Amino acid sequence: MLKRLTNFRDLFFVFVWRELLIRYKQTAIGMLWALIQPLSMMILFVVVFGLVLNITTNGCPRALFYFAGLVPWTFFSASVNASINSLTDHRDLITKIYFPREIIIFSRISVFISDFFISIVLLTGMLFFYKIPFTLNSLWAIPLSALLFLFTASICLLFGTINVYYRDVRLASGFLLQAWFFASPVFYSIDTVSLKMKFLLFLNPLTYIIENFRRVLIEERGIVPWQFAVETGFVIAFFIIAYKFFIHFERSFADVI
Amino acid sequence: MSSDTAICFDKVSKVFSKGHNQHGTLREGIMSFFSGKDKPGPLKDNQFFAIKNLSFLVQKGQSIGLYGPNGSGKSTLLKLVANVIAPTRGKVGVTGRIAPLIELGAGFHPDLNGLENIYMNGAILGMTIGEIKSKTDQIIEYSGLSDFISTPVKKYSSGMNLRLGFSIAIHSDADIYLIDEILAVGDEEFKIKSFNSIKDLLEQNKTLLIVSHSMERLSQLTDKIIFLKKQD
Repeated sequence: MLKRLTNFRDLFFVFVWRELLIRYKQTAIGMLWALIQPLSMMILFVVVFGLVLNITTNGCPRALFYFAGLVPWTFFSASVNASINSLTDHRDLITKIYFPREIIIFSRISVFISDFFISIVLLTGMLFFYKIPFTLNSLWAIPLSALLFLFTASICLLFGTINVYYRDVRLASGFLLQAWFFASPVFYSIDTVSLKMKFLLFLNPLTYIIENFRRVLIEERGIVPWQFAVETGFVIAFFIIAYKFFIHFERSFADVI
Repeated sequence: MSSDTAICFDKVSKVFSKGHNQHGTLREGIMSFFSGKDKPGPLKDNQFFAIKNLSFLVQKGQSIGLYGPNGSGKSTLLKLVANVIAPTRGKVGVTGRIAPLIELGAGFHPDLNGLENIYMNGAILGMTIGEIKSKTDQIIEYSGLSDFISTPVKKYSSGMNLRLGFSIAIHSDADIYLIDEILAVGDEEFKIKSFNSIKDLLEQNKTLLIVSHSMERLSQLTDKIIFLKKQD
């Protein structure tokens, strides 16, 4: 699997470079868009979930609590949303010349990885502002981000593939992402739900990732090693299966796209 | 396959469906993904052979013409060589880097300018970034678009698109060139220029596969011609 990408390394770089380039062509405020999405959602959350519904945030500052959840969530939902169409958008290329098709999906995700890092800079600024100390536990955010990228890539590969066959994926994605959002602890903390509910919610890998991402950064708590090991094993196995699934179907993309 | 062989078709068949039967293909794909087996079933009602039991060999440095009526499978054959589609039965073997000169400029991104699209298309054709960098000047010069190279491609005319696409492909230093009717496009001056460039490829010992409806063109450019019949 890795060999496919190393053989086409330069093409991959050029695709990433192109995605970043076209993203900000003919825009007035360019890179700022990376921040506007999670920031505007954060303000909405503070108003709706905080001031109106008064949902607890474990004693954390509301803005910070929501923003720390929105950074990984926004990455996931934006990547999935943009990847579903990515293969069908490249119909002209796919029916004309061969290259590993996952390059299309991975390069599209790369744009959101860059957005993710821009948001992390802002999040760090907010941590300073709220005087949250930096501890060794905060470093867990790095492997957690890696899990997030890997899991997102798997979902993008699967959805992108199925959308080649059934454009229904595109139509269903709005609802699906919305449901997924409620099933992920973005505006609530997993601590507040019952044990039974917890078990159900942890079937969603994003629950683990988002909850712990916030925990290590703003609540200064550590992670549970065995949970992390199980989750990592699952995410890696899922990624391998999704990638193999993608490669298996790739051969017939040009026939059906 | 010996080391002199560029393209080898071994009893190749390609089946297409007339309607939209993606449903079947996704289900079959999932089944073969889990079972590990991948055997094609009997032909269904809405399926037909685009290519049936075709075998041939192309040596390195040979130039082969493909001649036949519409629907005889010429484009399908080029796509099989380009590894864009997989054969339903049989085997396709190709050694070397391929440059399809088909629908030139199809891979261009409208919002990117000419230069950015040179990088994009060059990389798609298998060039490294270093190679593209060193050939950029030649590519621009050949296309005659030096005044418009910073203009977004969406503002190009179809002729400009074609010239840039052809120029990139011809400079891509591939081993096998797939050429589909493009000689008929562009103005008279560029037609002669591109025709000469293709002749140059022959002298550089490149392998060519040329589709054309013009017997005259094919006899000027190819060593051998494969005649394809329409399948029923």
